[in-house]
Formats: sequence, C-alpha cells, structure tokens
Amino acid sequence: MKPEISSEENSALRKILREWKVGSPLAPRFDEQVWQRIARAEDTAATPWILFRNWMAEAFARPAMAVGYVTVLLLAGLIAGSWQARASSERAGAALGSRYVQMVDPYQMPRH
Amino acid sequence: MKRPWLVLAGGLAAALLAYGGSYFIGSAPCRSLEDSKTPELAWLQKEFHIPDAEFTRISKLHEDYLAGCAERCRRIDAKNADLQKMLAGAGAVTPGIEQALLDAARLRAECQKAMLQHFYEVSQTMPPEQGRRYLAWVTARTLGSQHAIMTSDPHAAHEHRSE
Repeated sequence: MKPEISSEENSALRKILREWKVGSPLAPRFDEQVWQRIARAEDTAATPWILFRNWMAEAFARPAMAVGYVTVLLLAGLIAGSWQARASSERAGAALGSRYVQMVDPYQMPRH
Repeated sequence: MKRPWLVLAGGLAAALLAYGGSYFIGSAPCRSLEDSKTPELAWLQKEFHIPDAEFTRISKLHEDYLAGCAERCRRIDAKNADLQKMLAGAGAVTPGIEQALLDAARLRAECQKAMLQHFYEVSQTMPPEQGRRYLAWVTARTLGSQHAIMTSDPHAAHEHRSE
C-alpha cells in the first residue's frame, strides 16, 4: 500500500526538488562514454540477419538500387540460360552425329 | 518493410524466368531435331546446311543404302556361321576354311566399298564446300577410326611396336 501524501507535503517536496542542485562535477568525457555504451549495446544486439535486413531495407528503398538489382539478376538469368542451352545443344549435336555414323557404318551399327 | 522483400523476391523470380526462357528458346532448334522423324538425318541437314531438295535426295540415298547394307550384313552373318561350323571340327587351316575366310573378307570389303560409295554420293549431292567437309568428317569417323580402335583397345587383336 502506498502511503497517502497530502497535497501540502507534495507541494513541499516539489519546492525542495526545485531548489536541489547537483554539486559534484560529472566525470571527464561523460557524454562520450554514454554514447559509446549505447553503441556497444546496439552492436551486440545486431545479428548478421538484422544487419542484412537493415542493409536491404536501406538499399532497396532507393529505386535506382532496386532497378539495378533486378536488372543484374535478369541479365544473369538470361546469360546462364542461353549458355546452358548452347552447351546442351552441342552435346545433343555430337550425340546425333555419332548416331548417324552408327547408322551408316556396319562396323559401328547395332546388328540389323 | 514489405517493399524490400518484394524487390528481393522479384529479382530472383526475374532471374529464374529469364533462365528458363532463354534456355527454352536456345534449345528449341535441338528439340525440333530430336522430334523429327529421322533425327540423325535432320541433324545432317542442319550441320551441313543442306537445302530441302538435296536433302530429299540424300534421304532417298540413305534409305537405299540401308536396305543394301542389311542384305550385305545378312550375307556376312551367313558366311561367318559357315566358318564357325568348319572351325568346330578342324584341327588346322584347311583349304575350305581358307576359302571361307577369303569370302568373308571379300564380303567385308564389299561392305566398306558400298559405304564409301554412299559417302561419295551423299557428298556430291551436298553443296560443294559442305560435301568436302562431310566427306572428311564421315571418313575420319568410319574408315579412319577402325584401326585406331583396334590399337587403342587393351585387348586389341594386335599392337604396333616401334622396337
């Protein structure tokens, strides 16, 4: 149970608090140390995932960056697909060439 | 916070679609070769840039050659069967065996002669430059390869030694 404080006591407390002054000086570079502690606390909380998420949110918020990212992936997909198609076409062409030779050469063909 | 994820997923989806699309378009000619009635001949036409009229003639030559080839193979098989019968009861090379070996060799030579003749006919039906390229290509893989196969095989019938 909180003790009841009368309005008279309350106003007296306020008066004393207003008159109270801190006499002792702050430690040297107090502000800087406080900010450093805040920064350290934030660093320990930031996992790679959070860092990535923050980076992504920041990067893709810029339209130029978002368009660039999509364009690069689009081009990479196009190049990889056409390269793969070319390689598999070459393989299939070589296989068909061998099959042609097997058809016409009685010493390479499966028995009639 | 949704927008960055949409951009990330959109980029990945665009890459996948681009990959699939370019692969599909790039491999379409090859698929059409495989889907044709005679993929090997379709490949020949594409590889050696044979016009349609010439290709029709080459298809006919090919068909006729294969029919003759089957008949020659049947004769070689029959001759080999005769030879096997003779070898079963023989203790030495008899005149009969020698004659059968000569006949089998003659049949094989006939077979190769017909094959070479077919290559010449096909090459002469092609545009000249492609005909020369075809002839060099096909002879290297048929007549040129047989001895190489024999000598490269660890169980080859014979080996050449330069001692």
